Amino acid sequence: MARWALISGLRGDLEAYEAIQADLRHTRRVDTLFVLGDVIGPERECNALLNRLQQPRRGELEPQCLYGWWEDQLLAERGYRGERRADALRLSQGEAAVDALLQAVDPAHMGWLAALQFGFIELDCALLHGSSAAVDDSLEPASSPLLLLDRLTRMDVNRLFTARSGRQFRLELSGGGIQSQVQDLEGQRHQQQGVPPRQVIGIGAGVHYTIYDPGSDRLDFLAAGSRPQQRARGFA
Amino acid sequence: MAHAVISCLHANLAALEAVLADIDQQGIDTITCLGDLVGYGPQPNEVVNLVRERQIPTCQGCWDEDIIEGLNACDCSYPSQLAERRGQLAHQWTADQLSEENRAFLASLPMSLWRDRQLFVHGSPNSQHEYLLPDMDAFAALERVESAGAETLFCGHTHRPYVRELRDGSIRVRVRQTPGEPAGVAEAEDRELRLPLRRIINAGSVGEPRHGNTHATYVIHHEDTNAVEIREVPYDVERTCRAIVDAGLPPIFAWRLRHGFEYAERADDASHVCER
Repeated sequence: MARWALISGLRGDLEAYEAIQADLRHTRRVDTLFVLGDVIGPERECNALLNRLQQPRRGELEPQCLYGWWEDQLLAERGYRGERRADALRLSQGEAAVDALLQAVDPAHMGWLAALQFGFIELDCALLHGSSAAVDDSLEPASSPLLLLDRLTRMDVNRLFTARSGRQFRLELSGGGIQSQVQDLEGQRHQQQGVPPRQVIGIGAGVHYTIYDPGSDRLDFLAAGSRPQQRARGFA
Repeated sequence: MAHAVISCLHANLAALEAVLADIDQQGIDTITCLGDLVGYGPQPNEVVNLVRERQIPTCQGCWDEDIIEGLNACDCSYPSQLAERRGQLAHQWTADQLSEENRAFLASLPMSLWRDRQLFVHGSPNSQHEYLLPDMDAFAALERVESAGAETLFCGHTHRPYVRELRDGSIRVRVRQTPGEPAGVAEAEDRELRLPLRRIINAGSVGEPRHGNTHATYVIHHEDTNAVEIREVPYDVERTCRAIVDAGLPPIFAWRLRHGFEYAERADDASHVCER
């Protein structure tokens, strides 16, 4: 079975994207490239990267893109989210950041950005920017296991790939359980429920990306352009 | 001290009067209402008036919200297009009937109410539209209570009363991450979260029961012993059914009340996250 490459958080950085594409050309058996959002940001002009994502060069993997937090903020500010505006960005980084974001993306790209999906379901995996609850939901190694299990349960998947935290990690739910007792007008019943063996995987951001092999369940956390100085970490 | 919790009145005056009489008969003067005062039933103004007269603390239900903000629920609310059309008809009829004063009252209702560490909501702490069914995933149910910071969660919306206790829970995790990441979690670390005891108490429905019986339901919480009593109250179902037909509402609403189980508008995907 062919492998997936998962990237996020490019925020207009075409050089980082090209470095990853160059890496992937040398990585065998990667047949699908998933971009889990945040391809835009306020720091730099994003149009060159957006053009490239929509029109890949010959020999490049065609990216399958989702929208992330920055796309959601831009779409809101441009009126694609009903009454909502980029309030979260405005609150956290001020009006200047909102203006910079508007300047960073040519309005001609709005149709493409508005058509991006919230998430993908592939095999038994959910591929999301944040979580099944929201695009801004940041799942991290230190997140409550109860919350992580809830996010997996909401989509009924065994693996949830997330990008929002920007970190690379693999968190496995390895055991546990809970007792439940329900009393209603039909009587009382008990239930013992175990914790299913599920995982949350942080894929990284920018040049830090992840390769996943669904056949073997192997993960490789990589950094584009840094090999061989920084070796990949594989977890099977 | 005991307090009564009622929910999902659905413009059914006969049922509300019977339930309030039952509460009064037991000398209980603390009542909390979990919303859905209107919708489906034929007496929206009468029911809202009675709740206001009795000064019952009330949080906003999904029907109350939709009457104020316009019908914008996503398609999770109805299992079929036919059911959706009936719901829209009831919505329009209710919106036409409701007085400005009562509309303002519904608009003023909070999403949730707190008493110590008891949280009162219509559907779930996440949404007025989310169903917390009695047999939903136990961890997901616990997450709703725990994430809200409550010890006991009172909810309605399902129209089926129940008390669910979640205890002796734990989750073990193994975390592996790349070197050079921020400190705090080791490269490979095992840890275990012990989960607290939490309860979900569903008040059922006064005006639109779906538990297999025509009786109105509500709950009484005895705070001194922490015991919960699920009450069934018979009421004059025919009086409400006649009023439904006389008002020109879909006769299936009367049929449902006579059978005590809402086959037509049941939605039971508890894991669905409403995208409205």
